[in-house]
Amino acid sequence: MIINRDKPQKLYIQVFDNLKKKFESGELAVGSQIPVEEELCKIYGVSKATIRLAVLELVRQGYLMRQQGKGTFVCKRVIPEGLTMSASFKELMLEAGVSFTTSVLAQTVMMPVDDLDIKLAMPENRHIIYIKRLRAVDNEPVLLQEAFIPYHICPDIIKEDVANNSLFELFEKRYKITITKVKDYIEVTHSKKDEGELLGLSAGAPVLLLEQHFYSGDDQIMYMRTVKKPDRFRLFLEFEKK
Amino acid sequence: MSEMKSIKDIMMDVFEFPHIPYWFTIRQAIGIIKKSLLSSEKCLHPMVVLVFDEKYNLVGTLSLKEILRGLEPKFLKPIAKVQVPEEDESGLSLIWDTLFDKQSRAAAERPVSEVMIPTKFFVQPNDPITKAAYLMVHNDLVLLPVLEEKKKFVGLVRMVEIFDELSNAILKE
Repeated sequence: MIINRDKPQKLYIQVFDNLKKKFESGELAVGSQIPVEEELCKIYGVSKATIRLAVLELVRQGYLMRQQGKGTFVCKRVIPEGLTMSASFKELMLEAGVSFTTSVLAQTVMMPVDDLDIKLAMPENRHIIYIKRLRAVDNEPVLLQEAFIPYHICPDIIKEDVANNSLFELFEKRYKITITKVKDYIEVTHSKKDEGELLGLSAGAPVLLLEQHFYSGDDQIMYMRTVKKPDRFRLFLEFEKK
Repeated sequence: MSEMKSIKDIMMDVFEFPHIPYWFTIRQAIGIIKKSLLSSEKCLHPMVVLVFDEKYNLVGTLSLKEILRGLEPKFLKPIAKVQVPEEDESGLSLIWDTLFDKQSRAAAERPVSEVMIPTKFFVQPNDPITKAAYLMVHNDLVLLPVLEEKKKFVGLVRMVEIFDELSNAILKE
């Protein structure tokens, strides 16, 4: 049996490890397509949600690549070990030092749709707070930001003034929820239709996508998706030896 | 009747029900219904999703019936008839069967705002439960939102609790 339910290790990690071994041993060669979710469920005897978590983590770590409408393939892209940096979170925000005007496009409650439950590592039947903001510099929209916060983490954020307050400051100062870790994923992608319209770009124009996972201890407290006009930002990172 | 409970005594927490914004597609709503209502250990009645706007105001409700109606092709929509005897139109559904896959998949990409039941009626926490019973009976509803000061959404009241409360009064010796 590949999966051992008596092990303390989470099921998706067991699936992740097993698939990783298959890539490393060449049993699943670079460029080959992995079986579809239903088939993997049968192979490992686990639920779809578990398979999705394992596959998502393999995509994140660069072992797999998704191709829209085709499937998921073993990838030869090598992602370097993540660089860990220490910095104050304000410094980590790409927009630090820039004064924005913010329009709140939505501040409401929803259920996790598509793969949001996986991105937030939360059960799919729990409520989340959704905040969508458009930020402009000198009246020119430059970034569109969507924040997803599990409702039980901080229910009162639904009533807060998020046009004039930063979510990080609300968490840390008002609600005493300390952010201890942020994972950032940055990529260049094509804008979706509505994103392009809001940012004044043509359909499919390249944009900088920043996906951030915020943690307080072991709990993920927020997933944030920010789409930026690439010509308005320069990424700056500084590493200091601990 | 004066010792009977008021709405606030029998209302449910809004978080018992799934929430979605009005711009979600019917397909997304189906996914949420399957995950939150059909696969859930507890069986929630009625199976309803609450639909909100950008500012978290309740704008409508969506039950399994509205979803199925949303998947129907246009030719199955009833035509208003004046002084014409009732006809059995269930034969038309046979055509739907042949077209189900393509047409209904396309229909599922429409926003839920096109098929939800807009929120027109509500009760307030201190209203008598008979008011909720009246609104439900005369507007074909099984669920009503409870709004504080006609604005703040604080809960929901179901027909099952209304029925239970009113029937107790009837059966009381």
